[in-house]
Amino acid sequence: MTLKKRFAFCFLFLCQILLAQQDSILNLKEVIVADKNLKKYSNSQSVLKLSDSVINKNAALLTNLLNFNSSIYFKEYGRGMLSTVSFRGTTSSQTAVIWNGININSQMNGSTDFNTISGSDYNSVSVKAGGGSVIYGSGAVGGTVHLNNDMSFYNRFENNLKLDYGSFNTIGINYKTNISNEKWSTQIGFSKNSSTNDYKYLNRYTWRGEQRWNQNGQYDVITMSANLGYKFDTKNSLKLYSQTSNTDRNTSLVSENETKSKYINGFNRNLLEYNGDFGKLTTNFKTAYIFENYQYFADNTRKDFTYGKTESLITKVDLGYRLFKSVEINGILDYNRTKGYGSGFGSHVREISSASLLIKQDVSKDWKNEFGIRKEFTDNYKSPILFSLGSSYQFSKLYNLKFNFSRNFRIPTYNDLYWEEGGNPDLKPENSYQTEIGNVFTFKNLSLTQTFYYIKINDLLQWVPGQNGIWSPQNTNKVRSYGTETILGWKKQFDKNYFAANATYAYTISENIDTKKQLFFVPFHKITGAISYSRNNISANYQILYNGFVYTRADNDPNEIIDAYLISNIGIDYDFKFLDSFKLGIQVLNLFNQEYESLEDRPMPGRNFNMYLTLKF
Amino acid sequence: MKFSKLFLIALSVSLFVSCSNDDESNEPKGIYDNGFFILNEGSSGQGTVSFSSDDFNAFTKDAYTTANGTDLLGKYAQNIFFDGDRAYIIAGGSNVINVVNRYTFKLIAKIETGLATPRYGVVKDGKAYVTNANTYSYINPTTGNTDDYVAVINLATNTVDTKIALNATANRILLENGKLYITEPYNNDKLLVINPSTNTLETPVTIGTSADCMDVKDGVLYILRSPSSDRSEIVKVKLSDKTTSKITFPEALDGAGYLDIYNDKVYYTVSNSVYAINSSATTASTTAIVTAASVANLYGFAVNNNRIYMADSGNYTSDSKAYIYNFNGVLEKELMVGIAPNGFYFNN
Repeated sequence: MTLKKRFAFCFLFLCQILLAQQDSILNLKEVIVADKNLKKYSNSQSVLKLSDSVINKNAALLTNLLNFNSSIYFKEYGRGMLSTVSFRGTTSSQTAVIWNGININSQMNGSTDFNTISGSDYNSVSVKAGGGSVIYGSGAVGGTVHLNNDMSFYNRFENNLKLDYGSFNTIGINYKTNISNEKWSTQIGFSKNSSTNDYKYLNRYTWRGEQRWNQNGQYDVITMSANLGYKFDTKNSLKLYSQTSNTDRNTSLVSENETKSKYINGFNRNLLEYNGDFGKLTTNFKTAYIFENYQYFADNTRKDFTYGKTESLITKVDLGYRLFKSVEINGILDYNRTKGYGSGFGSHVREISSASLLIKQDVSKDWKNEFGIRKEFTDNYKSPILFSLGSSYQFSKLYNLKFNFSRNFRIPTYNDLYWEEGGNPDLKPENSYQTEIGNVFTFKNLSLTQTFYYIKINDLLQWVPGQNGIWSPQNTNKVRSYGTETILGWKKQFDKNYFAANATYAYTISENIDTKKQLFFVPFHKITGAISYSRNNISANYQILYNGFVYTRADNDPNEIIDAYLISNIGIDYDFKFLDSFKLGIQVLNLFNQEYESLEDRPMPGRNFNMYLTLKF
Repeated sequence: MKFSKLFLIALSVSLFVSCSNDDESNEPKGIYDNGFFILNEGSSGQGTVSFSSDDFNAFTKDAYTTANGTDLLGKYAQNIFFDGDRAYIIAGGSNVINVVNRYTFKLIAKIETGLATPRYGVVKDGKAYVTNANTYSYINPTTGNTDDYVAVINLATNTVDTKIALNATANRILLENGKLYITEPYNNDKLLVINPSTNTLETPVTIGTSADCMDVKDGVLYILRSPSSDRSEIVKVKLSDKTTSKITFPEALDGAGYLDIYNDKVYYTVSNSVYAINSSATTASTTAIVTAASVANLYGFAVNNNRIYMADSGNYTSDSKAYIYNFNGVLEKELMVGIAPNGFYFNN
């Protein structure tokens, strides 16, 4: 019964889980989720959860996973290079990336580079559309991406090893082990994804007639994770999450004779979490230490580099109390101290405290309300009062209506405030109002989520050139972003044949309110689709991605666009049923050898191949 | 053997004849004759070159791509210099010089090696002399300000023959009476002098910091300098004996931008205003002959053909404009060009 209910829940909100195999469904029962509030306070919004089985079917770096499976738009500076997002027509620093409940967007530039994250380091990756600043803080404007390591507390000893070898010497080693009993839970993971990345540019030749290729594009992303959980008793548990990563990348050349440069960045994240569950009262303490750094070598034949580093200490107290049978409240106090130092912005400390209150009311099984309010306190900028209110009503088995209204923000970064020269200490945070209506239809094996949203963003930060040629950030623009997101999921079993299909479609208008022009690098249309089939030991899948054209300039010059493209991947694997699972697979990426790019003069590879071996034991 | 010689002679004669024909009838040598180029620096994308005919009837926004399709001109287009029928377009961000036919803009070759952030170039006797900023001190504090050099390029082979180390920073370069003169505004207070016959540095002339634009008339080099916390001035260097004199500007003209000499007059700019003085003047004029109200940040400037050419940098993310005024201060033409137009080059 419980399982069935849970399954129904998943089916409604997390349609991607349908792709998960039997084992994942069983796991749901016993797993303790890393970020409780994600489930608890997102009834009125849409969350797309990508389970480990989906993660395994996609190329290692997070860009590929999310590009082919969500409505988030990606801009890549060539394969494996810097990759930034636009979610619901917002900027790259208006999508927050949340690691086990902690916001990990860069303190220096405000955004996350999705090519520095390997999906396999997490049990699940969830994409929550819409505002979330009340819970997740700065940057949760367009949406949030959640990287979670959920811990299991049952007898388990499981190893996962995935080995990849593909075109352009692309090598992946992704290993994860889960060792747990009813008291202890341990996860240890290692991932290394690298490539010489020297692919040919389709139909591009130099003036001498030589084939052009991606020069200086090599990358190597290494991450190590260790997570440990201990349950003292049914009421008290302690968890420690730790992760270290290093990304060593050259930066691919636009033309042949540019100076070759290199960018090295890394992070170290540690999170200690205590959970206490005392009936009506629940407590959650978190202390996190997050370190990030980068080194940029403008000429990689030289030793000289510029750099930046930040160290953040985050402490969080979250007290939950069940007021009535139907009403739960959470009070959260948060303190964040960041010390940043770098060749570009000197040395600065910033302290931010915040207090928030979350209320959840389950009027009935079918009607759920949620409300949240948050205020930050800091000397660095004036912080608006943030709020969120939402409701979800299940009219029938067929139809669920959701509504959410929120105010969100994005704080100025170290670069914005302190960059020498040009940093502007008098900036205001970007702030936005957002409203959305979601319709979820469920019919037998089919689920359809349709969301309409409207976002108004004020005080958008933009770097503009000043009189003396020095660029400086200003709170200049107002943006209006609206559109629809459609998520479709379908699953069917005929005898021994399993079919599943998923699709997303995003229609996005994001315009500067003054000029009425579409923001550059925001496509009007993006479509993803995936179908999969499995029978006995064989499974196969086919993915498509359509990105509509984007303007590359603020004035929407029709001659300055990136053309629309449609690319697809196909994959097949066979499970030899040796050990727990022994899969050998092959993927053909960009099957139709489509010539495309997501940024001007940065062509992406043509048809290429990947072989993989997945072992479970 | 004999036949081929004969053929060569016939060919050169026909070339000669056709050349002289051109000269007499002044027929255009290509679609980009009798006009001027506007060099657009570009920003995140490639630089471009726009062309307008002198009568403004013909205009091409991106002459290089029009002629050469998908070939990339390069980032941060900085300067164009000419030699015979050829134009050399320096793309500093891509360490490349594109060699094109100046009348058709068809690509002939690229100079691809031996350059490190090339800036400006001049030609003397079949050789180009191009300043290279090399590394910058914010990246390379130890030698960033002393590693600049002049690349000496053999224009017959389009390869860098030698590099003249400058032990200083270098930006603009000018050829006069067989000598090369180099200024750089940020880290150099000297006018560098090079003898190209020996490729050696001669004794530099101390002119003060923040000196960039220069032009020459009657053996005197006029250099505009505009220190951030002091009065602007024109430093006049008499090239025969390297003696200097100054025209110090009044405070109202602080932050002077560009300088160009045309006929007998020295034209200089402050913000978006243009002033003119006689080359023999000893004091500055504070009466603007043109004020280009639409120009927010003057980024390119030239005086030629009895006109004043001004370019606005724009916002570096969308196309900007060039404005052409006559000497009466009347706007003759406004041209929508590329991103960050930074210079005008005349093709007649």
